[in-house]
Formats: sequence, structure tokens, C-alpha cells
Amino acid sequence: MQIYLPIAEMSVDALLLVGIGFGVGWLSGLFGVGGGFLLTPLLMLIGIPSFVAVASGANQTLGASVSGLIAQARRKNVDWRMGGVLVAGGLLGSFAGVQLFAFLREKGQVDAAVALFYVVVLGIVGLLMVMESVRAIFRRVRARPQRLHQHSWAHGLPFKMRFRQSRLYISVLPPIAVGFGIGVLSAVMGVGGGFMLVPAMIYILGMPTSVVIGTSLFHVVCVTASVTFFQAVQVGGVDIVLTMLLLAGGVAGAQFGASMGARLRGEETRALLGLLVLGVALMLMWNLVIPPESLFSVTRAP
Amino acid sequence: MRALVLLLLLLAPGLTTAQPLVARLSTDRVDVTTAFVGESVLVFGSTEQPIGPGGDEIIVVARGPDTHFVVRRRVNVLGMWLNGPSAHFDDVPSFYAIAGTLPAWRLLPEEVRQARGLGLDALPLTPSSGARSPQFRAALLELKRAEGLWLEDVAPVDIAGNRLFQVRLPLPATVRPGVYEIAVHLVRSRQVVATERMGFIVARTGSAAEIERLARLQPALYALICIILAALAGWLGSILFRRS
Repeated sequence: MQIYLPIAEMSVDALLLVGIGFGVGWLSGLFGVGGGFLLTPLLMLIGIPSFVAVASGANQTLGASVSGLIAQARRKNVDWRMGGVLVAGGLLGSFAGVQLFAFLREKGQVDAAVALFYVVVLGIVGLLMVMESVRAIFRRVRARPQRLHQHSWAHGLPFKMRFRQSRLYISVLPPIAVGFGIGVLSAVMGVGGGFMLVPAMIYILGMPTSVVIGTSLFHVVCVTASVTFFQAVQVGGVDIVLTMLLLAGGVAGAQFGASMGARLRGEETRALLGLLVLGVALMLMWNLVIPPESLFSVTRAP
Repeated sequence: MRALVLLLLLLAPGLTTAQPLVARLSTDRVDVTTAFVGESVLVFGSTEQPIGPGGDEIIVVARGPDTHFVVRRRVNVLGMWLNGPSAHFDDVPSFYAIAGTLPAWRLLPEEVRQARGLGLDALPLTPSSGARSPQFRAALLELKRAEGLWLEDVAPVDIAGNRLFQVRLPLPATVRPGVYEIAVHLVRSRQVVATERMGFIVARTGSAAEIERLARLQPALYALICIILAALAGWLGSILFRRS
């Protein structure tokens, strides 16, 4: 069943989009991530223009994360104060990211730049995830008492603020910086950034794992909403028909994935997720490196 | 001689009661809805004199709205293929199709064909800015052909009973909305003796049109609607598909 996407100005099989949404939703439910980092490259792979794929990917991640946020908020697993500080940085970052995106688009480098961002970011994150989880699997054998959280350089900066729910008394600068960075990546890559935000919250900010998921979902929802807004206003790439089709499959898939994910162990899940992230990075690197079918490409000048 | 020709031309409509060429389109409007997968427009008509070898010949040309194209060449930087030099082509038809009872170059003298822009190689494709290499022009022609947006003699004009002709112009799903002009030329002894001009519009309609218009004219409002719809869909979906 072909459907015409009004913003992408092309006709795509609606069932294919619902299917992609379902598959990505299933994996994201399984691993508890938004899935934007899988979705946006897949959309580009089936020929959706990259500016539409990024903007609509962010829009779909927003929808996919809302229900998770509601569930976490109900269980009081959201540190709203920390979330607010992160989001403040995230909004600035998403604005800056969209400016960068618009600039790259004007220069005709958006496809390569998005791919390069994916390769670098996913490559590093995937590698860290796999290493960390492998280490955790080995460590499981001899359990050690854990400290409340690691003290790092991030705890010695000015503008300190008390975050009761995270049991932290730290400077607001690291969370703002983390939020900003994720915001930029979210805008350029069309992702929520949860898979980068969660480790940053644990290792850089030292937040307890109980509030990490809920608070990161709060950040993802706010930042993807802001990316959707700025992308739509400045670049005009948000295709609501595309978003809704992806969400139709995505929300169903996420529920199936989540019920299956509950049966997997944390470390194994993280190792699998790390491998998946690395796989996407390698695939995009491959596309960037192999000689293109045609040396030339044509686009309509805006 | 010139005066004679002028006189003949002035008298021509009076002398001949039947027109040498009559042509029509199957539609004057192509709607781009959310179910749009492309369409084809039929150009048909009849001639006074028999069509065929030694007689009249028909050339049908269709042009879509003009647009600007940027052609980019990929270059290898540090092992990665990035977009390098580019060439800009202004006022180029976004859609172009030509079909004839025979290819135009066999029916008309070269200078007439070039002057009338009959054939892809007769399109004035000179880059307005950027790289000058003829490779870019060739690449534009090749890519637009591959997209099915520039068509040259894909199928010949179909003739029935020496008088009726018809040809189908396939419009792919990627056609630009706008005004499409069709010219049907009647060629006799290597000269264009009559031309019929028609047109149709390609217009977005229904929800596709409304979405596109809203996104273009009120992007902030559109963005807010996208945010709210996505959030609602995500929330509703999680209730519908809850498995607990």
C-alpha cells in the first residue's frame, strides 16, 4: 500500500514504514531505549531524504518516549529538578544543533555529516557499552560492596545545587553541559540520545540508577520536542504522515519488546545493545567508505 | 515570396474548413493525494492529412514547472565519499517528456529542433554558477532520466487508422506540483506546420495539500501540532497495546 509523504514529496510503502516502526519499537522496548539511532539510518537507507529522516526521527522518538516517561513519573522515578537543569542545556543544544544542521544542508554536506556523526558517536558509545558490560559480567562472579556514587572532577565545580531525589549536591554546570551535548547530537542525528545520556548520568553526574531512566526519558521527551520544533521551523523536514506511520508500528512493537526484555539480565542486554549500536556505526561507515554507485547527485535547490 | 506566404497564412483558416491538427488531453488536472503513486496523462487527437511515412508526423512535448537543480560530485576525502564541487542549473524544467511518431531528430532540421527545444539535448542546460565541466550536465540528464522525470522517445506516438494519434505521458510520484504545458506539433516535409498547445495542473489536494501548506506557511503551528500528535499517539498506543 503506497502512501504519499507530503513533506518528503515521495511515495513509500506504508506497510514497510509500519514494519520498520514495529521492528525498531520492539528493539527499543527490549533494550529500554528510544530507538532513534536505529530508525533514522533505516529511513535514510530506504531513500527518505536525510533532512526528513532526522527531523521525523526526532518526532517519532518523542512519541515513543512519552508513555515511558508517564510510567516512570507514576513510579516517582523522575528527578524533576535534575531533569530541568539537563533540559535547560538540552534546549540550547538542540537549537545550536539545528543551526549546525541548516548550515551543513546549505553546504550540501548533510548526508555525509549525519553519517559521520553516527559513525563517531555510535562507534564510541557501542564500544564503551560492550566493554563495560563484559567487565560487569566478569565482575558478577565476585561481588563487591558499592559506594553511593563515584566522586569525580564534576563534583568540584561552582554553582552547586542540591538534587534531593538523586542524593547529589553538585554544580549545575556538568548537567547543563551534558544536556547541551545530547541536545546537539539529538538535533543532528534525529535521536533522543538516551543511550548516551544514561551512561553520562551514571558516570559523569553520579546519579543513582533508580532515577536515571525516568530522568533521561524526561530529557528525551523535552529535547526531541524542541528538535521537532526547530527542525520544522528552520529546515522544514518534519513529515507528520511519516511520523504517525512509524509510531503506529513503534508503540505496538515497544510493548512486545518490553515484555521480552523483562526476562533478560541487565548485563547481557547492555552487551547486546552495545553490539547493535556498533553494528549501525559499522554499516554507516561502510556506506561512507565504499565507492558510490553514481559519483553525481542532484537535489532541488531550496 | 514572403508576401505570398503571409497572404496564404491569412487566408488559410478561411480556405480550409477542417483544422490540420486537433489535440486534447485526457485530463486537465492531476491530484496529488496521500494515495498518489504517479499517474499518466493521455494526449490524443487527429490530423486532417494521413499520418505516416511520407505524410504528416506528430511530435508531443510536455514541460513541467521550472526549477533549480544543484548537481554535486562526490570526492574522496580521507577515504570517505563527501560532496565536492557543485554546479547550479537555473530555470530547468522539473518534468520534460518528448515523444513522436519518429524521434524529433529524424523529423526536423537540426537548427529548427534546437531552436524549439525538441529533445533533451536541445534543453538549454548551462550551469548558472559553480563547476563548468560538461560532466555535470551529463550527470543531470542521466539522473533525471533515471528518475523518470525527463523522458525522450520512451514510447512512440501511437497511430490508429492514419488519422488518430495518442501517446501516454507517465508522471512519476515525484512530479512537482504546478502548471504543465503540452505542445503537439504537426510536421510536414520537415517543417512544423501546426501546433496545438494545452496544459494541465498538478496540484496537491486533500490532507497532503493541507499538511504541506500548513508546514510551509505556518511552520511554528505545524511543529506544535506534530509534537502534540506524536505525544498523543505514543500515549494512546501504550494504552492500546499494554500487555500486563
